[in-house]
Amino acid sequence: MEQILANGLYLGAQYALIALGLTLIFSLMNVLNFAHGQMYVFGGFVTYTVVAQWGLPFIVGLMASAIILAVMGALIEVFLFRPVIRKSKRDESTMLLAAGIAFFLDAVILLVFGEKQRGVPKIVDGVFNWDMRIIMPYDRILIGVLAVALIAGFIALMQYSKTGRAMRALAQDRMAAQLMGVDVDRYSMIGFALGAMLAGLVGGLLVTITGINLGMGGPTSIKAFLMIMIGGAGVISGAIAGGFILGMMESVGLTVLAAYGDITYLVIFASLMVFLAFRPQGLMGKPWG
Amino acid sequence: MLRRSFLRTTALAAVASIAMLGAAHAENPILKIGFVGVTSGPAAAWGTSNQRSMETRAAWINETGGYDIGGTKYDIEIVSFDDQKDPKRAIAGMEQMAQAGIHYVVGPNVDDGAAAVRPVAEQNDIMYFPYAFPKELYTAPASNAILGMVANYQSGPAIYKYLMENNGVKKVAFVAGNESDPLSQRDSGAAAARELGLEVVSDSVTYQMDTTDFTPVLLPVIQTAPDLLVLSGVSPANAPQLIRSARELGYTGLISTETAQNAAVLAEGAGELANGFISVGGASTPDLASDMMKEFVTRYTAMFGEYNDESNTKVYALEYILATMAANPAAIEDIDAFKATMDTFEAPNPFMVGDAKLKYVGSSSFGQKRQVSVPLVVNVYKDGAFETLFVAQVD
Amino acid sequence: MDMNKQIIGVAAFLLAVFVLVPILIAASGRWDLYYTLTSVALLAIGSAGVWLTFYIGRINIGQGAYALMGGYVSAVLMTQAGFSFWATLPIAGILCAAISVLIGLPILRLRGVYFAMITLVLTEVTRLTALALPFTNGAKGITSIPLPGELSLLGLTIIPDFATMENPKLAFYLLAVTLMVLTYAALWRIVNSRLGHLCRSLQQNEELAASIGVNTAYLRVLAYAISSFFGGLAGAVFVAISQSIYPSSFAVADSVNFMLYCFVGGLGFVTGPMLGTFLLYFGWDLLSVAKEYQLLIYSSAMIALMLVLPNGILSLFDRKGGGK
Repeated sequence: MEQILANGLYLGAQYALIALGLTLIFSLMNVLNFAHGQMYVFGGFVTYTVVAQWGLPFIVGLMASAIILAVMGALIEVFLFRPVIRKSKRDESTMLLAAGIAFFLDAVILLVFGEKQRGVPKIVDGVFNWDMRIIMPYDRILIGVLAVALIAGFIALMQYSKTGRAMRALAQDRMAAQLMGVDVDRYSMIGFALGAMLAGLVGGLLVTITGINLGMGGPTSIKAFLMIMIGGAGVISGAIAGGFILGMMESVGLTVLAAYGDITYLVIFASLMVFLAFRPQGLMGKPWG
Repeated sequence: MLRRSFLRTTALAAVASIAMLGAAHAENPILKIGFVGVTSGPAAAWGTSNQRSMETRAAWINETGGYDIGGTKYDIEIVSFDDQKDPKRAIAGMEQMAQAGIHYVVGPNVDDGAAAVRPVAEQNDIMYFPYAFPKELYTAPASNAILGMVANYQSGPAIYKYLMENNGVKKVAFVAGNESDPLSQRDSGAAAARELGLEVVSDSVTYQMDTTDFTPVLLPVIQTAPDLLVLSGVSPANAPQLIRSARELGYTGLISTETAQNAAVLAEGAGELANGFISVGGASTPDLASDMMKEFVTRYTAMFGEYNDESNTKVYALEYILATMAANPAAIEDIDAFKATMDTFEAPNPFMVGDAKLKYVGSSSFGQKRQVSVPLVVNVYKDGAFETLFVAQVD
Repeated sequence: MDMNKQIIGVAAFLLAVFVLVPILIAASGRWDLYYTLTSVALLAIGSAGVWLTFYIGRINIGQGAYALMGGYVSAVLMTQAGFSFWATLPIAGILCAAISVLIGLPILRLRGVYFAMITLVLTEVTRLTALALPFTNGAKGITSIPLPGELSLLGLTIIPDFATMENPKLAFYLLAVTLMVLTYAALWRIVNSRLGHLCRSLQQNEELAASIGVNTAYLRVLAYAISSFFGGLAGAVFVAISQSIYPSSFAVADSVNFMLYCFVGGLGFVTGPMLGTFLLYFGWDLLSVAKEYQLLIYSSAMIALMLVLPNGILSLFDRKGGGK
């Protein structure tokens, strides 16, 4: 039992961090970023290149992922999303753009980093074993703690910094924020950069445990969509809750339903659909997202 | 028709000019061989190793003057199509091959694609070499598909039997991704294990292909305390994580799979936890590799930067096609001649030392010879490289 | 005047697909184009459904689910109950519509990204269901499905047995194109009827529509059911061509593609999804000459297209500027 909870918490922490970046971008710009998973993969490959190929320390790789992805996010916002949002008649048009960017990043990743599975060797050895009740490798604990620290840092940034306050104002009411003198363009760019950076950071963190390959992008995006829907799209606390809930569901579901085999994920997904049908705005979201 | 006679004229012209000028391999007629498989997306690694093997071998043949079929030297051209692992695209790819007048195609890489291209292949006289295991592709009335590797229902029992006899394995557990190929392989693997008298303690646990943490997946499996954990149809991307999670959960038994793996990926993803992991290797080992195989690896590495152990198997399909044509030149245009030749075909295996033979097998699995014979090499991983556990042949 | 132009346009289109294309293919010997065009026609039928859900203001990323269902209905009926393909075709569509009513009733209350995401999950749920159900043959799929047999009425052969045909490719092409023409005729009829006007009112403001007495719940479910009918139809014909079906035959990627086809063509135009399907599918095929750069060029073109024409290609011809 303890093991199931521990697994769920670890999984939840990494999921929550993935969902945070996605929900941030969504709340600021009403853009569902299909390329989020690809950004995550890109971040993982950057860390891999820096750490495993160039032999630099892990923290340097992580920083490199964060910076490169932040720059990439800012550029994507300024040169792609901004003009399209301005010109298109319907919000949904940005979905095609986001999908195009996702394909583009897939192509770039294939050309630059190759088609193989990559991984950074374990950064900490050893396994924590509490009387066979909880077994958790130290590197997993470390990554879990780092993920929680990043989540806490992000919340602090949103709560207490000027940038964070401006972005929250923007998320609440774009028009009002603009009238109050918030530079909408500037904070949209910062928000997108921050969201992309978070994706890159998770990629960098997880490349030490799960490794990375170019196929992980699409499925990661979809999982992140699920999480922000559980919690409520565009709500920071909702994304965190959604991440932990999905993590727990997988952990518990896989154990409880193990005997029934193939239907484990069917049950998880189907119950999510039922939940959303009854509570369309998720746990904490605004209705009608 | 027009195209064929054109080909024949060019062939004649080429022969004539070679006779007059002595040697000029640039004048060789072109023989096109197709590839339809997945070279982008999550499963890109599978098709890429096919395509690169074929291109490496073709470039090598062309550089050294072409391939001799019935006294004519042919330059080999590889025509590739990326089906994105989508069966609907695979059909389009096969149609393109038919349009280009190609009769021999390597691929597709997965079950659904291989089944989907069957009508096109049969209508257009195309022999194809899938890397997919469904038996109905290779048993009569189907006759155009030739399995390009060793199937898991052939390698699995060999591995389980070896481990029963040498390691005293009694209880076995299976875990598979919830996709067609892995699930089918799990079912046939579990059936084979039961037939051998093993106790199957768990064969119902599955995982999504995009799982990032396998601890929850493996927890209930490990609790059944198997002696052998089989990762059915595991992709190279998931294998290191599964091994790592199993070991970190305290599992000490054996772990095996019937798919080919990559040593570098295992080293990066699982490190020394992967030691002792048993997998089916590419069809070569340092002891088995001939000089030609070694040169192939060198050329492949020079051309594409990095070798893939799976290409040890995937180099064979093209070699079989060409060698069978050399045995019966009519097969270039006539697949019935090819099929007739297959039953008796035998040629020296250039990639193996000793007197190994290229020949078609599969009679006991499919009732007809619809499989290339490649050595079944079972490897065990040790500190960043594979060591050969045993080598067997499939009949 | 405008009416005449439209009639001429439709006539030219029909002439092109039913007469010119077969003539050109016979002349050029490019027989492989038949399959490509058949795929385009079938995918365009699916996209037409997605477009209709866009028309009521819902982003539908779940059409792959209904294509898969339709395919399985047809495959199971043919192989296990001995039905003729021609009988399974309408059954596949109707069954998909019926299932979509059950699924649609609760989920159509959702809007925006919520609806989009739940339909995306639906595709995955359908794949997993196909793996788990007892009669779908699970992971092994259903293979060796017979070609469409003879269709006769009162002893009169309307469509001959595909297996005896000299050229089943042409037959499949004609079948797919006929279905596509019928689908778009139906779509056009819907959009220009009272139902279409009501749907547009939903797209613009659902609350307002409800307040003036429009039965919004009924309208939404009706549109979604028609959409799913098209999806099931497309899936069933694909199964007849590949003579096999697997749980992976229609996946999340297909659902996303259906949506993209609609965007590229333009959401404001009935023929948008057809054009979008044609361009994206054909474009990908043409780009195969670029080998490893295929995806890079394809995606760059898609991004460039969005930057230049964010409202779809047909917005070029949009004189009114409003875009219906």
